[in-house]
Amino acid sequence: MMRRLHIPETAITTRTSLMGMIAAREAIEQACPENMRPYRIALVSGTTVGGMDKSEQYYLDFLSNETKNAYIATHDCGSCTEMIADYFGLFSTVNTLSTACSSAANAIMLGAMLIRDGRADIVVAGGCECITKFHLNGFNTLMILDKEVCRPFDATRAGLNLGEGAAYLVLESEDTARQRHIESICHLSGYANTCDAYHQTASSPEGEGAYLAMQNALKSAGLRPSDIGYINAHGTGTSDNDLSEGIAIQRIFGNGIPPVSSTKAFTGHTTSAAGSIEAVISLLALQHNFIPVNLHFSRQMDELRFRPATDEKPVKPLRHVLSNSFGFGGNDTSFIFSKINPLC
Amino acid sequence: MLKKVYISAAKQISAQLPLTDDWTNHPRYYQESFVPAVDPDYKLYFHPNTSRRLGKILKRALLVSRQVLDASGIKLPEAIITSTGFGCIENTEIFLHSLVKNGEQLLKPTQFMQSTHNTISSLIAIDCCCHSYNMTYSHKNLSFECALLDAYIQLKNNTIKSALVGGFDELTPNFHALLQRLKELEAGKTFRSETAVGMMLTNQLLPTTLCCLDGIETFYGPDAHRLKESLDKMLKQAGYVLNEVDAVLTGCNGMYSDEQIYNQWCTELFAGKEQIRYKHLFGDSFTSSGIGVYVAATCLHRRQIPVHFFASQNRAPQNGTKHLLLYHLSENKTHSLILLSSCGN
Repeated sequence: MMRRLHIPETAITTRTSLMGMIAAREAIEQACPENMRPYRIALVSGTTVGGMDKSEQYYLDFLSNETKNAYIATHDCGSCTEMIADYFGLFSTVNTLSTACSSAANAIMLGAMLIRDGRADIVVAGGCECITKFHLNGFNTLMILDKEVCRPFDATRAGLNLGEGAAYLVLESEDTARQRHIESICHLSGYANTCDAYHQTASSPEGEGAYLAMQNALKSAGLRPSDIGYINAHGTGTSDNDLSEGIAIQRIFGNGIPPVSSTKAFTGHTTSAAGSIEAVISLLALQHNFIPVNLHFSRQMDELRFRPATDEKPVKPLRHVLSNSFGFGGNDTSFIFSKINPLC
Repeated sequence: MLKKVYISAAKQISAQLPLTDDWTNHPRYYQESFVPAVDPDYKLYFHPNTSRRLGKILKRALLVSRQVLDASGIKLPEAIITSTGFGCIENTEIFLHSLVKNGEQLLKPTQFMQSTHNTISSLIAIDCCCHSYNMTYSHKNLSFECALLDAYIQLKNNTIKSALVGGFDELTPNFHALLQRLKELEAGKTFRSETAVGMMLTNQLLPTTLCCLDGIETFYGPDAHRLKESLDKMLKQAGYVLNEVDAVLTGCNGMYSDEQIYNQWCTELFAGKEQIRYKHLFGDSFTSSGIGVYVAATCLHRRQIPVHFFASQNRAPQNGTKHLLLYHLSENKTHSLILLSSCGN
């Protein structure tokens, strides 16, 4: 990764920040960086493990000698964002959210708020997270890891597979996009964050937080449930999440449930990056009019009336896509991407 | 129509006496480089099981939040927005230590659950059964400002009517020793400490309101021109001028290196303005700017800046305080400006 970024091998970095730099660079390059400089650009990034990869690698050094002191300073979440910011030297403000597995989704939401409030013209928003022994073992103590490949929304599901990665979106207002002659991919038409307020790691049986997040996102977009053509579910593959999320989806969409899938069997659960990685998948679905299928599905869950999407052909052309990202602490975020001219 | 934003209650647990404004008259002074927070007697507030189950940062956050909810009379805030620089470092350290020393065996789920940064705002939400917006920021010394900014934007635009905003950081002797290697704090000049500060922000004036929050902005990278421009805009929107600001409360911790850099920027940005500080009493942490806001709000409510906040203490307290500007900078990289004023109640 360092070679790819042309960063000297001796530089102090973390795996999370390097993945963040690569993903942010791709996003920025796609968004016509040539005429970005005069604008107020913010970097809003989500991470939870931050520099933990290095902290766990050098922990014994920290305790016994001073050779790895530089990595003490990269432990916290904000350092990760600043390393990414410094790589580009573009940003007039930076911000780091840390809400576990919904971090990147919340970063995108805050990005939209900063633009709407006129505090930034362009926001690079998303999240990054590498796998660490710390959270791999943490998830293991919670007994929510599946030793086999994960099977979201399947009756035989037995937990999640951890993944890692990074993704960023470049957000800007219609005015800025017009001034910069940018053809936007889609419109972030609605978003909401709520709290399940049930348990520090488990989700409530009735999926109250998830229900409220989806409902409030629809409200903020001014859309009805029937407008949604595809739901990119959080769908971790754990017993709790998929049941709770599935019930919440049924409560909102009643008998008109659109195709639902979890894409985590492709990516693993990329925790703090999941929200933005799945945002990118949702954008691609909208842009190319396909349903990202739910891998490894074999048996419908007894408790749910619907089965996840396994056919990539949408029933009708996609105009609005809803994406869910839920995190520890019942932190539930939903957002909706819409085609620029949804009526066309 | 944009709404005004108020700080309508604020409580702290820090190096000063907990859950009181006693520091205004009887500040505690310290000579160590690490001063843990002065904890209240949790037996008075929590069931022993709860006390045992929760790490110290969680106990402090929960108690401070409950007291803020009580003081403001708002039982169910429309947002819970917290910040923490290092998160639950005590449990993180225990889990990490066990992981490295015991070869990934014998790990406890509770320590993992209580090591995630957003476990704090989640716990507060569970405690007050609050399904509303729940957010956690973790950006070094800007963490609290990020939380305050989020609340401010939403309140100003009337998306929400109340927000419980907090800043929480704990420290262990071990972690302090590691941090000393990066930046050695000189005992007697300044100290590293722990922060638990909570406040209720509203967009309506309440009987308990302490002050108005007139503006907040964060910056990355040293650019005096942009800071000045932003300050002017903030003042213009608030309807007063820099001359009317009674003092600038800075995050300067009193060390020579900090003095130099703060002096340079303060001269550039607000030459001639009286500077006051709070870190000699409350210490430094990633969220200590939250304490700064609490101190400023308390001073504005009392319309007085106590003598011990001035560099020279051979003077009388400043009375009739109406407007305060908070200025924080860190590593010459991140800056923040927060404008507060008395709302005359």
